[in-house]
Amino acid sequence: MTWHHRLFAGLERASDWLSPIVVKEVRQLTSGREFHYSFSISLLLGLCVAFLGAASALDASGTSGSWTFGALIGCLAFFGLVVVPMGAFNALRTERLEQTLELIILTTLSPRRVVIGKLLAQGVKLATLFAGLSPFIAMSFLLGGIDFVTILVSMLLLFSWSLWACAASLFLSSLIKTRAISGLIFGGLGVLLFLGVVAFGVPRVLFFMMMRSGGAFSSSGFHFTFFGGSAPWWLLVMLTTFCLISMMNLVLLTENRLSVATGNRVTALRIGFAVQFLVLVGWMLSFAGEPPPIRTSAAWTLGVLGGLHLAAVAMFTVTEDLVLPRRVLIRMREWSALRQMVAILSPGGGRGALYVLAQMAILLAAVGILRPTTPGFSWFVAICGYVCFFTGVPVAAFRLFRPAHEAAFHLRVVTLVALPVAMLLPDILYYMLWRPDEFTVSFAARHLISPRALAQWSVVQSRYGIAFPVALGLIGVAAYSIVVGAGMRMIEEAEIEAGEAAAPAREPGSADVY
Amino acid sequence: MNDVMLQLDGLVRYFDNVHAVDEISFSVDRGKVLGFIGPNGAGKTTTMRILATLETPQRGDARIGGYSVVDEPAKVRQITGFMPDSAGVYAHTTVTEYLDFFARAYNLRGTARHQAVDNIIEFMGIGELRDRNVESLSKGLKQRVALGRALVHDPQVLILDEPAANLDPRARIEFRALIRELAADGKTILLSSHILTELAEMCDAIAVIEKGRILATGAVTEILAGMRPRRTLSARFAGATDGLERFLLEQPGVVNVHEAGGRMRFELEGDDDAQAALVGRLIAAGYRVLEFSAHGAGLEDLFIEITQGRVQ
Repeated sequence: MTWHHRLFAGLERASDWLSPIVVKEVRQLTSGREFHYSFSISLLLGLCVAFLGAASALDASGTSGSWTFGALIGCLAFFGLVVVPMGAFNALRTERLEQTLELIILTTLSPRRVVIGKLLAQGVKLATLFAGLSPFIAMSFLLGGIDFVTILVSMLLLFSWSLWACAASLFLSSLIKTRAISGLIFGGLGVLLFLGVVAFGVPRVLFFMMMRSGGAFSSSGFHFTFFGGSAPWWLLVMLTTFCLISMMNLVLLTENRLSVATGNRVTALRIGFAVQFLVLVGWMLSFAGEPPPIRTSAAWTLGVLGGLHLAAVAMFTVTEDLVLPRRVLIRMREWSALRQMVAILSPGGGRGALYVLAQMAILLAAVGILRPTTPGFSWFVAICGYVCFFTGVPVAAFRLFRPAHEAAFHLRVVTLVALPVAMLLPDILYYMLWRPDEFTVSFAARHLISPRALAQWSVVQSRYGIAFPVALGLIGVAAYSIVVGAGMRMIEEAEIEAGEAAAPAREPGSADVY
Repeated sequence: MNDVMLQLDGLVRYFDNVHAVDEISFSVDRGKVLGFIGPNGAGKTTTMRILATLETPQRGDARIGGYSVVDEPAKVRQITGFMPDSAGVYAHTTVTEYLDFFARAYNLRGTARHQAVDNIIEFMGIGELRDRNVESLSKGLKQRVALGRALVHDPQVLILDEPAANLDPRARIEFRALIRELAADGKTILLSSHILTELAEMCDAIAVIEKGRILATGAVTEILAGMRPRRTLSARFAGATDGLERFLLEQPGVVNVHEAGGRMRFELEGDDDAQAALVGRLIAAGYRVLEFSAHGAGLEDLFIEITQGRVQ
């Protein structure tokens, strides 16, 4: 036995401890042509850039390493943020179109392990591409003009965001089942990622490099003021945390889409988004001991990001069906008292409503701790009220009449459509009924029904008072309580039905010839 | 000993207001092959998906090897091999790699995994295809590899949805032999097919389903006996057959005698002994019997007869 036979036998043994999905994907990778082409092209590009960098170094300026590195990281960004995520999208798309996904899910591999395996396989691809270009990047360091920490951090950033793009592509791929639409999305994603890299990706990495090298750092526009002197590192920590947590949630969302509808597809997702929300609250609460302007900025950021988070989460949780699959009900019955206490993390639209209300309470408590000067506490209450109104009222209206109907998808569409309708309808009705001479969209009383009121809160407070938004919020909370009540009743009915079903049916094998 | 491996108790599965599966109950013993017959949309695939734990019933339950498909899906998956109507293959993957992947996915490690893959390749007779890309195989060979995939973790129960669809006659014969071999090996098999004559040769029993309800279960001969107390016979004779028709009509249990295509066709109410006695009496009466055969109703006749509008 030669040394390479022994090596392969050893690797084969070691592969027992790897995810089967990673092993399969890497085997497919090495047998297919796509990765060979992209790897070869990346090496060729790296070689060309390194050659040009070396040529420019002949003028002995000692700074050609900086642009060499920028060009190399640009190449890597193209492969990491466009080529590899497209491959990730296609990997899952093929798995669904060829109907192999159900075959995998029937094995001991859970949908989560499948998604993580797919993501890790993309990580292997990325690592190979990064490793291929690393000699040229090392050369850019030797050419001067760039320090080692910048190189390392930039590469780590690019790697983590590339992996994030892969997770996002996997999620996108899990949304579509039909061949034609997924093909269209595949093409659209390619264009989007390409534009994303050209417009945002490379500049973002270069932005970090600029910050590291002591370049200009503006505090305008994004409330950077509360980061103080260590702003770039704070920003980096926040971006990385966001990257990791949102990547985890993308994995959970993909898992949710791939799981068979017979199991609990919700709890992990609820935990993931609760963690994301708590991290956001934690970031902002870290400024609780700062002077009022910084605390106000932090509260404002929490209001905007937390409000968006709550709106998105509410749209998907409150609209959940109230009837749960039997397997889920059985599992929930077996839960310990501790798990029963966190029932808001379990499936069902009623529990979903409680889950959103709990997060709203946390948001308001955090704002209470931050004590912002402007906008006042009422703005944060109004954010919660509008979220409750727009997500709760359509769902409650439907569930009052059809509590057992499977309509989650349709309700999500309705709540999604309700938002632009509320923003446009007041103006449309106004111009149709009153026919004013002058066309104006400036804020007026008719816009109080629209979430636009939140962006004009000082005008609302001074000119119209907060009675109308408060009324909307109360209607929203009432709607939530209707959904919660309907959810509880459905669970009780399902329990009774399950008890009846547990009684023995007829003797097996007793079917006769009719 | 009654060793029930597969037991369905009042399964109900509906989608909105359509009852795809409606109070289905039957059972299959270890080592038996049950054919699942029904027209398109009858509920075969839904039932099989419930058994494979890909769906849950709204009411009722099914047990595979004693494990409930509702309560213990993970245990059911460990002892069940499911083959849907599509083969489900990967690009850039050899037969060995394909089987190896599923062996890994079923948590087989090291030597056990290699052994499992080698055994399957040998059993399925696909040794020469080891290094061929699965994607490049013919439909018949893909089906064979897919069956190998369903067997890689050595399940006790196999659920095969339309496994012989799109196979050429040779592949069907080979497939039939494989199924019988697996049953002889103690595997319990539930398979659906539209090729009804094939099912009759492969299965120990059948279950006929229409509009989500089971219309009949049992061995083909038992169901036939229950539906048709008379057997249809035909005979060919050498030489003169004068008075044969009257002779036959005088025999006990013989009715509906007529000549068609140079053969005498008639129905006999009775069992094998009655049939043997009739042959004896014909020979004793001096008729020179060249051929004597029974025409049992085929599975297709049976299927048409059972399913025609019985369930509304």
